[in-house]
Amino acid sequence: MMSGTQQDQMQLKRKRAVKTAWLLAAVAITVFVAFLLSGILAS
Amino acid sequence: MSTDSTLSHDIHEHDDHHDHKPSGFLDRWLFTTNHKDIGTLYLVFSLLMFFIGGSMAMIIRAELFAPGLQLVEPDFFNQMTTMHALIMVFGAVMPAWVGFANWMLPMMIGAPDMALPRMNNWSFWILPFAFAMLLSTLFMDSGGPAAGWTLYPPLSLQGGQSFAFVVFAVHMMGISSIMGSINVIATILNMRAPGMTLLKMPLFVWTWLITAFLLIMVMPVLAGAVTMLLTDHFFGTSFFNAAGGGDPVMFQHIFWFFGHPEVYIMILPAFGVVSEIIPTFARKPLFGYSAMVYATASIAFLSFIVWAHHMFTVGMPLTGELFFMYATMLIAVPTGVKVFNWVSTMWKGSMTFETPMLFAIAFVVLFTIGGLSGLMLAIASVDLQYHDTYFVVAHFHYVLVPGSVFALMAGAYYWLPKWTGHMYSERWGKIHFWLSAISVNILFFPQHYLGLAGMPRRIPDYSTQFADFNMISSIGGFIFGASQLVFVGVIVHCVYKSRQKATSQVWEGAQGLEWTLSSPPPYHSFNEPPVIDSSTIAHADSTH
Repeated sequence: MMSGTQQDQMQLKRKRAVKTAWLLAAVAITVFVAFLLSGILAS
Repeated sequence: MSTDSTLSHDIHEHDDHHDHKPSGFLDRWLFTTNHKDIGTLYLVFSLLMFFIGGSMAMIIRAELFAPGLQLVEPDFFNQMTTMHALIMVFGAVMPAWVGFANWMLPMMIGAPDMALPRMNNWSFWILPFAFAMLLSTLFMDSGGPAAGWTLYPPLSLQGGQSFAFVVFAVHMMGISSIMGSINVIATILNMRAPGMTLLKMPLFVWTWLITAFLLIMVMPVLAGAVTMLLTDHFFGTSFFNAAGGGDPVMFQHIFWFFGHPEVYIMILPAFGVVSEIIPTFARKPLFGYSAMVYATASIAFLSFIVWAHHMFTVGMPLTGELFFMYATMLIAVPTGVKVFNWVSTMWKGSMTFETPMLFAIAFVVLFTIGGLSGLMLAIASVDLQYHDTYFVVAHFHYVLVPGSVFALMAGAYYWLPKWTGHMYSERWGKIHFWLSAISVNILFFPQHYLGLAGMPRRIPDYSTQFADFNMISSIGGFIFGASQLVFVGVIVHCVYKSRQKATSQVWEGAQGLEWTLSSPPPYHSFNEPPVIDSSTIAHADSTH
């Protein structure tokens, strides 16, 4: 089983992972919107 | 690097007693957040899709067995070629790699699970609905998509109402892939065990990290492109409609900006698996680990700047043709580095030829054939003749079948004992390999000649001059299709009937964290962070 310190470290890792996920989701949405906008503006 | 070698292989064997597996069927499989269960779901789903897409390939090869129309109507034939590709690319190969990633990445980096387990569940369960929607179009009045998997307008816009289902299915597949990729990146960047630095990670982890970045960059592009197709079809816009001031060639640019990296999305994890298997059965560390990492990153970067080699015939400025031609040829350099390193790993190794190694060696040889025909296609001037012929079909099938699919087979045989706790039948594995390796060449090699002689792709009928090679190709196709039933037999036998227990390490030369866990691994692996030492690092240079 994990010690208290190890559990704290795991919590920290998971928090960082959620931040990374939000950042990556923002990148994906930006690419999608940018492509749509470029199509709309070009036409 | 820590030299503490206190981590015994047996420590984790006892974790079986603390599994806490959900007891009910629905709890275990529908609501699961466990990376191994979700990996199994992905792998079973992709195998099912492999057989559905394969059945479509059988229909295609049966129709092409002889000149003339004999089995299906031309429009249905076109639906088969389109659906075969969409299902194999998005339903079989990609989910299979995600399944491998789910099963192996946490165990390889010493994490207890994927970073975002609930999203992991969601990203899998979207897929069955997406493919149910896609396949349902075959039963609609307007039929399934028939314009090719590239969905080029204006042809794709001439389909009926079912086109909306196709677009939404592609959207759902894209969302699933993006969520899966986010999870992979978040896991690799944040969940590694202490001491597992980036340049100590196994090659499979590296190739998946880079693949996940590719997916996040290109899937939204595909989603944007098909959304514009949707509005052109149903809402009167003219993004790609020349009559309304749009540009159909623009769709090709956008599609291939997604489509070419997509090819590498399917092949980079294959590079990773082969880079795990060859050192194990050559009993030598991987030659040039760092070079392999940089070569993978280089291939990924180059994949973004070569898209227009798929469309040399649309008529682009000479400078454009030259740029895309030379950029494409440049990919041969990092790819050559990889092939050189695999061969160098085998050089003077104590090699044995178990089924995973046979598939891995066949991968190196046959993928290289696909790579070389790719170089031929990269030459803009000669591509004008090869374009849209069976030479292209032969090329990409060599890359994807004895390339990506053989690597999937190799990986499945390599890790099957770890996953199930039982050894598979080596005899039947080898029968599966030889049947597949011989038939896949009978299937695809003659298609080079058909293409060079000018046979166009995506046609149900052809001139009698192409009859012999088509018949040979179809016979190879039927044998290859039937051979895959052996694979299913081997898996079923391994899971339910095999009496030979697998050890933790399974293979004598295997190194890496996943081999420190019992076979099968405990439901929750690495409840305590593992110790990273020279016995648990698969390939990394000790200097890093």
